[in-house]
Amino acid sequence: MTVFASPIRLVDMAGSLVMIVFSLLCIRQALGLGRRHPDNIVWTYLLWLSVCLGIFALSRSGGHILKQFFLMADQGQMWQALQPYSGSLNTLLLTVAAAVTLFFNRSWQIYQQIITDKQALQTAHAKVLDLNETLEKRVQERTDALLQHEKQMAHADRLASIGQLSAGIAHEINNPLGIIQGYTQLLLRSEPADTQRHEDLSTILKHAKNCKSIVEDLLNFARRSKPSAAVVDIHEVIEDALIFLEHRAKTPEVEIHKQFQSDIPSLQIDEKKIKQVLINLVMNAKHAVGEKGQIAIRTEYHPDVHQVLIRVKDSGYGIEPKDLKRIFDPFFTTKATGEGTGLGLAVSYGIIKSHGGDIEVDSTPGSGTEFRVILPVNGFT
Amino acid sequence: MKQTRNVFFTATSLGLLFCLARPAAATQAHGAPEGLFVHQLSHLFFIFAMAILIYWLRSRKLVRETGWRNIQYAALFFILWSLDAFLVHLLDEQFLLVQVTRIGPWQIKLDTPAGMGWLGGLYYLLKLDHLLCVPGLIFLYMGLRRLSPPETETEVPGKKTP
Repeated sequence: MTVFASPIRLVDMAGSLVMIVFSLLCIRQALGLGRRHPDNIVWTYLLWLSVCLGIFALSRSGGHILKQFFLMADQGQMWQALQPYSGSLNTLLLTVAAAVTLFFNRSWQIYQQIITDKQALQTAHAKVLDLNETLEKRVQERTDALLQHEKQMAHADRLASIGQLSAGIAHEINNPLGIIQGYTQLLLRSEPADTQRHEDLSTILKHAKNCKSIVEDLLNFARRSKPSAAVVDIHEVIEDALIFLEHRAKTPEVEIHKQFQSDIPSLQIDEKKIKQVLINLVMNAKHAVGEKGQIAIRTEYHPDVHQVLIRVKDSGYGIEPKDLKRIFDPFFTTKATGEGTGLGLAVSYGIIKSHGGDIEVDSTPGSGTEFRVILPVNGFT
Repeated sequence: MKQTRNVFFTATSLGLLFCLARPAAATQAHGAPEGLFVHQLSHLFFIFAMAILIYWLRSRKLVRETGWRNIQYAALFFILWSLDAFLVHLLDEQFLLVQVTRIGPWQIKLDTPAGMGWLGGLYYLLKLDHLLCVPGLIFLYMGLRRLSPPETETEVPGKKTP
């Protein structure tokens, strides 16, 4: 069959020219990538493939164009002399491109593994560095926490010892005080009101009552009197304490901010005693802020540990570190003589402990004090 | 004892091999069709490698990226082109089923065995192989361009674990 050769020649010449252009573009692109990422196996493969196919395209297309020229110029023997070289080069380049492709498939997996390992190594290295940097700090934190815990334990032991001693003394003093109070009242009945003797007996009775009150406080501190349990709303107890204080000590310049959590469950507590604790804490806070300042009362519920937290924070000066470790001791006070017995916080400590709770304090001179009362939701036994 | 026997046996065998061997040419001669066979084998090897590349790109889901997808198309066109070239070499050089004779500057005559005239038409179509390898190369270039990160970026290509 006789056919036109033009389509074949046209496609051959045009295709060869396009091949040369694109093969050069591919080589240029791949060389640029290889230069920018010399360590990347992916670009190395694409560079090799592009270079092989590019040289193949140049050799083949160049050969085809030369062949057409030689044939047109009736110089077929010239092409026959060149043909083996062009063909051999094409064979070699096809084989290299194929081999590189097969090699790349395997290399890719290894490369991915290297990248994964490298990332894991970097992560581990960062962790080790972080540990090295923070190890000293962590050890210090643990040591401080341990020391703090030991101090708390020692403090609790000391308070328990003082409590036992106080309870013993209070119990021994309580009976004679009762007798003194009773006999004084009997003598007062038979004594006319406007005599010097009546006045003296009244003085004895007043001081006997004061002594009895101190003895009761000591017993409270020593937790010898069991609290009477009743289910109450803690917010009502706080409000009652605040109303009582409002009537007793009016300080219009002192702002009281209340922040109550809404979903706090009712507590099984001795309402009267907890109110006494709250009055003590708020009174101390008022004393700390003086004429003008802020007191914040916050309640929180922690269902994970079944505890209710009451925070009483003041904007006063704060407590000196040397005093901070003694504030729950009976008869310890920083107030002037006659202003306080030093039993308020000791009694509060005893009451909260008898409820199965805890009382904590945080204070920094210059930035106020915060007392935290922790009460169990499930009541006390 | 056993070791001595083994050494003696090996030495005897080698001695006999060297003494009794006939003269032989040191290198093998390479005749004319060998080049054609090697070229054909290179086409088959190239087809196999490109097929593996496509399978591998697809199995690792890399073809979701446009760049790799273009390289997959390039590999497909190279397979078709290599198959085309393989058949052309088979018809006109290896089995000599098609004889091409230039009649003039613009015409050629295709001679085929009796009853196999369709081979001429097939051969004519197969000779237009640039219609397959040019798209292949264009796709390869597009893929390379697409995979190239911008100058400022230091992203590793194929960083996504396949």
